[in-house]
Amino acid sequence: MSRVIRPVVLTILGVIWLAPLYLLLVNAAKPAAEYASDAVWRPIAEFALVDNIVDAWERAGLGEAVLSTVIYSIAGPAVAVLIGAAIGYAIVALRLKHGFFWFVLVFGGTVFPLQMIILPLFVGYAEVGLFDTRLGMIAVYAAISVPFSALVMRNFLGGIAHQVFEAAVMDGATTWRIFWRIYLPMSRSALVAVFILQATFVWNDLLLGLALSQSGDVRPLMTALTSMQSTYGGSQLPTVLAGGLLVSLPTVVLFLSTQRFFTRGLNLGQF
Amino acid sequence: MTGTSVAPRERGASYQWSARAFGLPAVLVVAVLLYLPFVWTSVISFTEYNGLGSPEWVGLANYREMFDDPNFLTSLRNTLLWVVGTITIPVGLGLLIAVMTYDMRFGVWFRLPFLITYAVSPVAVGVVWSFVLQNGGGLSQVLEAFGLPGAENRWLLDEPMNTLVMIGAWAWQQTGVNALLFVIGLQSIPKEPLEAAKMDGAAGWRLFRHMLWPMLRPLTTVVVGLALVASLKTFDIVMAMTEGGPGRSSETLALTMYREAFVNSAYGMGSAVALFLSVVTFIAAITYLRRQLSPRHEW
Repeated sequence: MSRVIRPVVLTILGVIWLAPLYLLLVNAAKPAAEYASDAVWRPIAEFALVDNIVDAWERAGLGEAVLSTVIYSIAGPAVAVLIGAAIGYAIVALRLKHGFFWFVLVFGGTVFPLQMIILPLFVGYAEVGLFDTRLGMIAVYAAISVPFSALVMRNFLGGIAHQVFEAAVMDGATTWRIFWRIYLPMSRSALVAVFILQATFVWNDLLLGLALSQSGDVRPLMTALTSMQSTYGGSQLPTVLAGGLLVSLPTVVLFLSTQRFFTRGLNLGQF
Repeated sequence: MTGTSVAPRERGASYQWSARAFGLPAVLVVAVLLYLPFVWTSVISFTEYNGLGSPEWVGLANYREMFDDPNFLTSLRNTLLWVVGTITIPVGLGLLIAVMTYDMRFGVWFRLPFLITYAVSPVAVGVVWSFVLQNGGGLSQVLEAFGLPGAENRWLLDEPMNTLVMIGAWAWQQTGVNALLFVIGLQSIPKEPLEAAKMDGAAGWRLFRHMLWPMLRPLTTVVVGLALVASLKTFDIVMAMTEGGPGRSSETLALTMYREAFVNSAYGMGSAVALFLSVVTFIAAITYLRRQLSPRHEW
């Protein structure tokens, strides 16, 4: 009985889930002239996906936003995992005094919602000249990724036996060298998991982009996409949809190819 | 701070300067870019300030004004709808899909549609669904084709319909990750008691109710807790689909904060909404955890 019911229910749900994706793909591939809002389910006659993507990339300015966002989602999380690993190392290997207090302080940075920090960051950034700069964006993306990164790295480094540290000291290595040549390489899997999670978060960010950037070459991708959506409409809808498709491709590919890493990362986050 | 061997205190102490140096960047970054702004917002919420001149102390006036504003109350109601909607629909569907697929052949393939949509960026989810939910758009055309009622709905224009359909769009995105987490949980349940229960004839609902569900409980606590906290801060998808409109009918607290602060330049009011949102999130999280962790509580 349930042998029949299960696949049927799952297939129905699966079809419902895939239907909006079908609409996205088909209509993102229609040339503007062929697009009709009362016939969105009709398959394509002429394939214009590439043209529409080029259109979104160039005319709507997604291209320069893609470049900025690639920089942000690499630099921000990279800085954050290093900073997180460093404090994890200080607490676990170097036995920082009151280490647990400092850890709770850093991790506590993740407790309040972003709404509590965007306004003062906007005001402060404007004052020191970081508003609407790539440096400012990288700094804030790194900062919000630090607490989670510190959590995972402290847990992960805690699993490395302290003898490793002591033996390296015996060999005359400096603390810096031990961090850089022993602890970081040993924690590669955790570093990558945290990096992927945080890079996805930065890639998807809308709020910080809206609050802290303005010009086309600083504004991140999601911010550019929403403004494209509110200015384009009607027959230009295929271009907007092509834009939506374009911004999702990296996360879909990344997620499906790193699913195991990703779930391990989610598990790590639960400690 | 446990290690297999404990270094003598004097030796450990000699690394304290090094340790401080390694710990400093994290503390500094978090203090300057997260804690300091937090304090600033808390203080500014008791002032009237538009970014020019200096803030003027007004005590609780912003908070009083907030609760007198019908738009704020709408926003509060919408946020509640989001909370209830996201801790039931995507979590429930995710659990259903996980239970149906975790021990099934080709289960991975049946889960794939939900995982693909999870990987679609929230703003792109908004783009797709704004398109599907246009007046007379994709959804309406399907309903009409199958002779179902509702084709004439103005999905995103009427309140509270707009919030409800956006919750549906969000469920489309979120179900996959919940399913994935539940599958991991189900697959880590020890095999022997499960086999024993099956031998005793437990199956379907009984197996779920008496075996799977109790064993999933710790994971469910985490999944629901995460959904609860995230839903209180709902922003991206609403911003991408309706920008809180028409009027302010589909705003959530996060959008109200954004509008007050960045559109109206009412920094004091924006900060008050932000602090209110933080306090609500904090209380909700604590209350939920205490309830879940108290041994007497069963469900």
